[in-house]
Amino acid sequence: MFNKITLNSLHIKVTLSVATATLLVMLVSVQIFYKTTYKKSYEESERSVRQLLDTVETTAAISAYVGNKELANQVIQGLLKNDTVVGVKITGNGKKLGEAGTGIAQISKTVHFELKAPFNPTETIGELVVIPNISLIDKRASEAAAATTINLAAQAMFILLAVMFLVYKLMTSPLLRLSQTLHLIAPGDEKNLDIPEANRKDELGQLVRDINSLLSTVNKVLGEERQLRHRVEALEHRFRGIFEDSSAGIFLMREDGSLVTANQAFFNLMGITANDSEPNSVFNVYTAGFSESDQLRGLVKLALVGQRACSADLKTFNPNTNTRWVHCIFSPAGENQQQKVIEGVMYDITQRKFTEERTKELAEKDILTGLANRQAADTLMRDLVQRVHRQQGNFVVMLCDLDRFKYINDTHGHDAGDWVLKVVAERLRKRVRASDLVARLGGDEFFIILANTDNTHKAADIAQAILRDHQELIEVQPGFKEQIGMSIGIAAFNPQEDTESSVRKHADKAMYAVKRKGKNGYAIYCADADTEVHIL
Amino acid sequence: MIKLRLTVLIAIALLSQLAGADILLIVNAKNSLNQLEKKQVVDLYMGRVSVFPNQQPAQIFDMREGSALRENFYKLLTGKSEAQIDAYWATLLFAGKMSPPKQISREQDVIDIIKNNPAGIAYVRKQNLPPGLKVVLEITDSHVQ
Repeated sequence: MFNKITLNSLHIKVTLSVATATLLVMLVSVQIFYKTTYKKSYEESERSVRQLLDTVETTAAISAYVGNKELANQVIQGLLKNDTVVGVKITGNGKKLGEAGTGIAQISKTVHFELKAPFNPTETIGELVVIPNISLIDKRASEAAAATTINLAAQAMFILLAVMFLVYKLMTSPLLRLSQTLHLIAPGDEKNLDIPEANRKDELGQLVRDINSLLSTVNKVLGEERQLRHRVEALEHRFRGIFEDSSAGIFLMREDGSLVTANQAFFNLMGITANDSEPNSVFNVYTAGFSESDQLRGLVKLALVGQRACSADLKTFNPNTNTRWVHCIFSPAGENQQQKVIEGVMYDITQRKFTEERTKELAEKDILTGLANRQAADTLMRDLVQRVHRQQGNFVVMLCDLDRFKYINDTHGHDAGDWVLKVVAERLRKRVRASDLVARLGGDEFFIILANTDNTHKAADIAQAILRDHQELIEVQPGFKEQIGMSIGIAAFNPQEDTESSVRKHADKAMYAVKRKGKNGYAIYCADADTEVHIL
Repeated sequence: MIKLRLTVLIAIALLSQLAGADILLIVNAKNSLNQLEKKQVVDLYMGRVSVFPNQQPAQIFDMREGSALRENFYKLLTGKSEAQIDAYWATLLFAGKMSPPKQISREQDVIDIIKNNPAGIAYVRKQNLPPGLKVVLEITDSHVQ
């Protein structure tokens, strides 16, 4: 419909332009034609008056020559019979011979005709003055001009109509048809325009061919685009599936911790139900529920600074769920709204972590007493030595050996021995802080590490307390009670000289010093002097 | 018409005979006029004036229609043929009030008339004129000479 109006208006435009141009040309040419025709007609009338005068010239000249009024009047009456003449006057030898019709004096427009002597053409003997019928001449001229003009206008009108019709027939109408057909074609229709038979070889035909080639190009491009879109959609679907159905939590976060997007698994892992995962931007990963948010920030920073993926095992906490361990991989992922974006992938390693911890526990525990075993002690010693070297405190070790354990084992049996070991272990544990370590190295040998101290006197106090504790008898069998003595060697770690094994040897030495002096006492190792043994 | 044509033929014959003949305009010897110009003669003979330049009334005598002298006279005087002159007069006659000069048949009669008429004027072939006449203009046939 729109097209039709436009084309119609195009046709109207063409028509109007042609009409305007024609009218203009007509107006100008009509005016010119009118004027020239009028002038010509007027001149013709004048000429005819003059010719008229020519015919009476001889007679008029004769009348003037001889001054004959009758002849002059004859001439005058003869002339007046012509409707182009309204007044005549003849003078001869300076005298008026005759005058008739409209007064000559009143009319300026007169035709003067010199009368020559009949027998001497060089002598002017009088004048014939004629007043042409100006209004008649004018009327005739106007009529002639009008007739010419109307003729011309009619011709112009006919040409205008013909041009309009031809423009419509040859241009507007085919264009309109073409436009309507084109209007019905949508890109991708695979349709083509028909070339009008009459326009096969002209510009319109060329236009249709060009439009067709354009249409086919558009169709081709659209087809390719469509295929491409299908492929992209399929690909997106697949990736979305991977993203959404993944058991690994996948998320994008900004540097400040705000969440850009995350999949369901992420929220599951963080212990947040999808429903209360408000707008993502409000959600902050740092405060969302990681136990060590500092470590998390450090990891993110490292990934951003190093421009590489960084990973760590992190613990999450959530009041609703149990503590989880997740393995997080952070990698930089470009920028979003002037903020650096980090891609995070996390998956649940809680089970593995528990298994690991259990294994470690098993490896470092003495099964009988529940104390640490030799490996655990060694590990802690190694850590502590490193801490000493980093000037992060010192430690003191105590080596304890039961005095009468072999006797009890032999006398009361292994069960009694085991029982004694358990009781001793309990007594020892009671006397040290949680940060300290009590280990059973094997047999009846116990090892205590007092972390964060280099005070041997304090260790001596502890040793005394332990010895006092062991004055209490242990019921090894129902009805049988035994007292268990203990020899304790104490050695402080000397940062300048000691190694793990040397400090243990020192404790060992001190302990044997106690054994030699009579058991049930303690001794503090001293490198310079003899070890001072305190027997209880 | 046949007569007219014959007349013309005879006139032409006479004219050839008279070739070289001059024409004299004569007036009465008593006429105070001694000389006329050709134009004045034309005005007199063509009816424009009826008086001599000295305002004395003039009586104009013409030769008979068809005479060789007349033909020759008008030819020499106005350059018009006799027929044209007759047509001229016919125009004036038709209008009324004007009449052509009186025509005389014989040259001798003309001479006599002028001899007795002090107001008269006429033309004759160049000849020796009797007393009592005065030549006021001699028209020569310049064409033939």
